[in-house]
Amino acid sequence: MPASDQQSTGHDSPNPNDGTPVEEMSALQKNPERSKLPSGSMAIGRGQTAFSRRRFIGGQCAVLGVAALGNIATGSIFAVAGRGTRSDNSENPFAYRVDRFEQTDPKLIGYVEARRFKSPCAEPRRMAIGGDERIYLAGEKRICVIRPKGSVAAEIGLAAPPQCVAVANEVFYVGFKDHIEVYAANGKRKAVWETLEGNPYITGLTVAENELFAADSGNRVVIRYQLDGKIAGRIGARDREAGMVGFVLPSPNLDVETRGDGVIYVNNPGRHRVECYSVAGDLLKWWGKPSAAIEGFCGCCNPIGLALLPDGRFVTCEKGLPRVKVYNANGEFDCVVAGPESFRENARAGAGSTSDPARIGLDAAVDSKGNVYVLDRVTGNIHVMVPKAKSDGAR
Amino acid sequence: MAEQENRSAPVTRRDFLRQGSRVAALTGLGGVAGLLASKLKAETLVWQIDPAKCLRCGRCATECVLKPSAVKCVHAFALCGYCELCTGYFVPEPNELNTAAENQLCPVSAIKRRWIEDPYYEYTIDETLCIGCGKCVEGCHRFGNGSLFLQVRHNLCLNCNECSIARACPGDAFRRVPVSQPYLLKTSYSHG
Amino acid sequence: MTMRGRSFYSLMLSGAAAAWNAVAEQRFPPPEFESGHQLPVTTVPPPRALWHEYADVAVLLLCLGLACYFVYRRRSRRSVLWLSVFSLIYFGFYRKGCICPIGAPQNVALGFFDPAYAVPLVVAVFFIAPLLVALFAGRTFCAAVCPHGALQDLLLVKPVKVPSWIETGLSVLPYIYLGAGVFFAAAGSAFVICRYDPFVPFFRLSGGLTMLTVGAGFIVVSMFIGRPYCRFLCPYGALLRLASLVSKWRVRITPDFCTKCRLCEESCPFGAIREPVPPPANPVELAPDRRRLGLFLIAMPALIAVFAFIGNRVAAPAALVHPTVSLAERYLDPAKPPPPKVPTPDSLALERADHDPASVLSDAARIRRRFSRAGWWFGGLVGLVIGVRLISLTLRPVRADYEPDRGACFACGRCFMSCPNERVRLGLLSPSEVPGAEPARSNTPPVAAGYIGKPKTAV
Repeated sequence: MPASDQQSTGHDSPNPNDGTPVEEMSALQKNPERSKLPSGSMAIGRGQTAFSRRRFIGGQCAVLGVAALGNIATGSIFAVAGRGTRSDNSENPFAYRVDRFEQTDPKLIGYVEARRFKSPCAEPRRMAIGGDERIYLAGEKRICVIRPKGSVAAEIGLAAPPQCVAVANEVFYVGFKDHIEVYAANGKRKAVWETLEGNPYITGLTVAENELFAADSGNRVVIRYQLDGKIAGRIGARDREAGMVGFVLPSPNLDVETRGDGVIYVNNPGRHRVECYSVAGDLLKWWGKPSAAIEGFCGCCNPIGLALLPDGRFVTCEKGLPRVKVYNANGEFDCVVAGPESFRENARAGAGSTSDPARIGLDAAVDSKGNVYVLDRVTGNIHVMVPKAKSDGAR
Repeated sequence: MAEQENRSAPVTRRDFLRQGSRVAALTGLGGVAGLLASKLKAETLVWQIDPAKCLRCGRCATECVLKPSAVKCVHAFALCGYCELCTGYFVPEPNELNTAAENQLCPVSAIKRRWIEDPYYEYTIDETLCIGCGKCVEGCHRFGNGSLFLQVRHNLCLNCNECSIARACPGDAFRRVPVSQPYLLKTSYSHG
Repeated sequence: MTMRGRSFYSLMLSGAAAAWNAVAEQRFPPPEFESGHQLPVTTVPPPRALWHEYADVAVLLLCLGLACYFVYRRRSRRSVLWLSVFSLIYFGFYRKGCICPIGAPQNVALGFFDPAYAVPLVVAVFFIAPLLVALFAGRTFCAAVCPHGALQDLLLVKPVKVPSWIETGLSVLPYIYLGAGVFFAAAGSAFVICRYDPFVPFFRLSGGLTMLTVGAGFIVVSMFIGRPYCRFLCPYGALLRLASLVSKWRVRITPDFCTKCRLCEESCPFGAIREPVPPPANPVELAPDRRRLGLFLIAMPALIAVFAFIGNRVAAPAALVHPTVSLAERYLDPAKPPPPKVPTPDSLALERADHDPASVLSDAARIRRRFSRAGWWFGGLVGLVIGVRLISLTLRPVRADYEPDRGACFACGRCFMSCPNERVRLGLLSPSEVPGAEPARSNTPPVAAGYIGKPKTAV
């Protein structure tokens, strides 16, 4: 039992024949050196330990030296470690690769940036351009009226954050989340329209001669208003029996535009297309296809903004791969206004980085000369894009 | 007799010193315990990712001491757009919107796609497969609503003293949270 | 797993759900499904329940108690061995080496220096309980409760004696390592002791290649050198060593009296057994030692000062291990590379710094200052440890018997069975067979008498 105990612990005695206690003892007795030394313990006390103590001290001095060197060496090791550990696994093996779409073929770019200026208000959302070529910018808790060169002409303070704005003669309309207000050009509030029912989230406005269209992302419908604030109809509502899928909106980005010719244009982001409705609500036609390539609408839900060029073409804005493109009246890809390389920071700021989905992406507005104003909601920059060759503008 | 006293005297002194040191050590330990008690929390702290700070760099998959990582993708369904073309599910330019492996973004096919009604699809994560790489999170964040996000799953996490992902996290997104509130979930947008 | 998670959902989020509902009306609504599809809930599997943690504490206390009982009362190596196997399985492979007291000094240090960090109760108990036991009964924790010790102990197949000068030289390492652990925890909230633990990757059966290699190295070494981690590195072992130096009871090789038969001499694979050193016959012999002692005592403050200075100098580069300091360094680097086309973790961190440089830089400066301050203390500690070690070498111990060194003894109980008196006690040997019994008794009666009371209290 004791012997096996020793074996099981792995203890290896220096004496080979210590199988049994008796043998052990006799082995001890046979070993003269073993029994001699204890009685000569004075010798141990003086000679052996003193000698080994000197060695200890020598070793200790060596340790001291090594420690001093080591301390200095660790300094450089830390310095290397601080940088080194980073460089060896700096690549993300699981990177989401869209870099091949982030560079636009320069041949496709039909516009050049004439100038850019900073939005005077924080959190800009959408903008519109009035007949006087002034930019009406909805953001923060105000509407900023900006001259084409970038200086602020007026600021109209509001009680709540506006989502969108539309400009008519003498008046402009401000879309709040759940209702619309009418303001005179001098900034005086003229009317407050009734609050919408359901889950309203107004994100787009456009005004025609005697009616106004509001894109309600929350209820996924375009509301047709008379200019006195009465609702004249709802356009594009989901109706499965009639085969109408309706507007598919993962995020509040419904936009509506019209030229006042009885046709409205609405983006349907979830289906990657632009839809044309009659004011009565009939779907006339649609165009667009999903693709990260330049001719399609990228990601899950694009375009997020529309603008109409005077010559009948469309300007579309996308998020994710932030790009502004022009499509002709038939919905065929025409040219690029500005590609993702112009909006680097915008590209990185996805919906997940902000609590407010209306603070990402781009918006565009067009002036009467066909210049495209692009609002970068992330940086707050307004890029003024002019056609590369004015003569080619209407090709 | 005198010799005996000489010999036993240092022993006693040693014993006295030893006892003294022991009492001192006990007092010290008691002091540490007392000081700790003032800062003590019966509640353990656990590691969690703040989704608002997460940069989706992929290190959750590579740095965790567990393989596969204790970090998994979770889905805040209330934020999801139920897109037909989910950029968290499909590669950036899919051939077709089907479940074929070459169209799936997830390197381990851990996302399941289920048709709900035209045109909506539901996406759920199979956490037994998920490696926490965050590729889908980046896809969803970049183009979509960011309803996919990464969380430390506490049924797996060993709760290391110093989370090795936290040390490597470029977004400084890891922090200790009380065990009674162990998740930092994305729930909804708040705007207004 | 999903099912389990879901069933926990209502439990876990009942509080959070209220807050959720409050903001729910504000969110952008998900599609309204005509099919009436209900949104699933996000599962939140809970962490280990708190009672599990208390169970760990209970197991620890029970094991400590049993270890003391086995070592002092039963004097049974076999019982200690089985207890250590249990500890290896429970604390090692079941609890994956975490929770363990080895890293606990860092938690305590962080608890003192970081106001945002509170030491969990369980960690506090794991830190204090083994130390408390060591103050009374020596390192019984090391013997049978620590999974690291158990693993190395069980792997020991062919012990090789470590030359005493190496042993002495390396014996300062645990204190320095402990100091470093506390230094990094206090200054940089880093847990280096846990990070570079060689055995935990084995308990987890996963880990980085480097740590697995280091761990494998330790495992190979521990087959030939008894408990290399415990003896030459373990920072908690350093604390336990200090505590057991002044412990009330101690492990004794013999249950009765030492016959100086020297049979136990080789029985300790950890080199903890010390041979008898009689007091010097002539006080003149002590003179060189006294001179040396005086010299070291005078040199001590200088040693501490030099090391404190070195520590302070090392602290600046050491601060770079902190991610924020390293990020600030890279951010300020004029030669930093341009952002790559596909973001890398590095470029993402730099981008973050670029968004808010002020906070990153001020944080980094604050951490640097903390490192620099802690560097003085750490360097001073290293100087003190080396100085004390030097002084301890000049002190002449007086020992009448073969006995284990109080600090170095792991209380594993291997030596018990090599003592003929133990075998007599167990009835395996008749008293007359004990070699050297009579001469020993007659030769040194006073010393033997002086010690005879001890084992009575200990046993």
